Amino acid sequence: MSKVRTIGADVWKHKTDKVSLELFTLMYGSIVSQLCDDFEHDYTKVNQQLDKMGYNIGLRLIEEVLAKTGLPRCHSFRETADAVTRVGFKMFLNITPQLGNWSVDNKQFSIIFPPGTNPLVEFVECYDERARRELWYSNILAGVIRGALEMVQLSCETEFVSDVLQGAAQTELRVKIIKVLEDEVPQGEE
Amino acid sequence: MGVLSIFILSKAGGLIYHKDFGFGLKKLNNSNDYLVIAGTFHSVHALTTRVNPLNTHSSGLLTMEMETCTLHCLQTLTGLKFVVVTDNNQSNVSVVSSTIYEIYSDYVMKNPFYTLDMPIRCHKFDRALNQYISTVE
Amino acid sequence: MSVAPRPAVPAKPSSSTPNFAHERNDSVSTPPPPQQTVYDRSLARKRGEVSLSAFAYIFSEAVQYCHSRSKDVSELEHRLNLLGRHIGVRVLELTVLREGKNAKRETRLMPMLQFVHTHIWRTLFNRPADSMQVSTEEQLQYMIIDHRPLVTEYISVPRDMSQLNCAALVAGIVQSVFSAAQFPCKVTAHSMGTDEFPDRTVYVVKFEDSVLKRV
Repeated sequence: MSKVRTIGADVWKHKTDKVSLELFTLMYGSIVSQLCDDFEHDYTKVNQQLDKMGYNIGLRLIEEVLAKTGLPRCHSFRETADAVTRVGFKMFLNITPQLGNWSVDNKQFSIIFPPGTNPLVEFVECYDERARRELWYSNILAGVIRGALEMVQLSCETEFVSDVLQGAAQTELRVKIIKVLEDEVPQGEE
Repeated sequence: MGVLSIFILSKAGGLIYHKDFGFGLKKLNNSNDYLVIAGTFHSVHALTTRVNPLNTHSSGLLTMEMETCTLHCLQTLTGLKFVVVTDNNQSNVSVVSSTIYEIYSDYVMKNPFYTLDMPIRCHKFDRALNQYISTVE
Repeated sequence: MSVAPRPAVPAKPSSSTPNFAHERNDSVSTPPPPQQTVYDRSLARKRGEVSLSAFAYIFSEAVQYCHSRSKDVSELEHRLNLLGRHIGVRVLELTVLREGKNAKRETRLMPMLQFVHTHIWRTLFNRPADSMQVSTEEQLQYMIIDHRPLVTEYISVPRDMSQLNCAALVAGIVQSVFSAAQFPCKVTAHSMGTDEFPDRTVYVVKFEDSVLKRV
């Protein structure tokens, strides 16, 4: 759908109030730091909390995506993936991560953030050994995607599989589409 | 004034927002009546999606014209309904509905004190909506 | 996870690092070039922008999280203030660093207030604060005024929590900027809307007595 390719950039340019990236990064960093303190550095719990916060955001953020773009329902998961990266990430974070590692049944894919593109980790370094192994710093994004897709009746699982903050070459977020929630599709939709 | 009333219905058909615009408009006697209108509309809308005998996709009720006013319905992919009642000369209602949707996505969705599917009680939403509606001819 | 200065440590040994045990070299062996780390990137350039919505969503979650852990409004404001403090120390360093050759360590109160009102606000919000006032009621008390704080743009506080101002986050940022610059104080955010500016917020900065020496 050609609309998907351009609408994200259009919304970013014309319909978006902007703030400094540093304010955003510092705010997120402050939240993660506070969670680490509150959960006494139990990074499994921090990851879960970040995912939960992201999920709550996703349930709400989808309305802005639909309101500002008027995007109709996607006809394939590939379209959905395109919408997530070219529209979603573009209009909120002004980035277009790459898509890759599609499974044969087209129900699983990866969202790949080349180093230096993820605004959440701008100037962040994880120097605590255990945090490097266990913390998924950007885990909020996993929750956001899961929540947003659920509101358009796509149930999915999302998890990070690699992160530059953990020393990997790139940051990769895996999305697995489980099923379409047929019962929840609003009357009048296909 | 073009826009007479706005109703917002949750996914489940509950009334989460209602506002009349303009002066001297009739009010229903019982505030419950508005809830009943919303619930009934939700069911009617669902009905209208089944009415289409053709083998095409049916969107369900989009507009309902009456002698002195028209009702327009925007249903989102997430199941929300924005129901806008206007006078019969109102043009560009689809723009009005989608702008109301945008205002909702800003001042309701980003409010940490708003719980999903509950009645909307956000004064900034009221303010932004009033400001917008007053500009609609 | 901070911007605190530390010697750069490579993430992991590069696979192309020569194995010195096997190297037979007459010249002095040079250490492998360190991998690019976060500390190699320049701070001088502004990093760009994201949408206000992105900030609003994460702040909204932060408010909800703090709310869930607070028994009352003042505890909630305190938690937001703490979140702001983490940001403040870093914003101070960043702002001063970006002044480059003009960077000056302020030791007098009025210039420091000006610095916060203008430069810190610009780093955070891309514009200076709207005004600054000296309190007539109390010594060492000043007000920084923002007509439309960006951080609370979409937040409608319910009537039963009307004393709450979520700009307590910004109050925390300001407090830690002053404190890190050796002007210890307490900062609180107050909603004082007018007809023209219904969201007008006043940050009341009350300095400790020790600052009297530097007025």
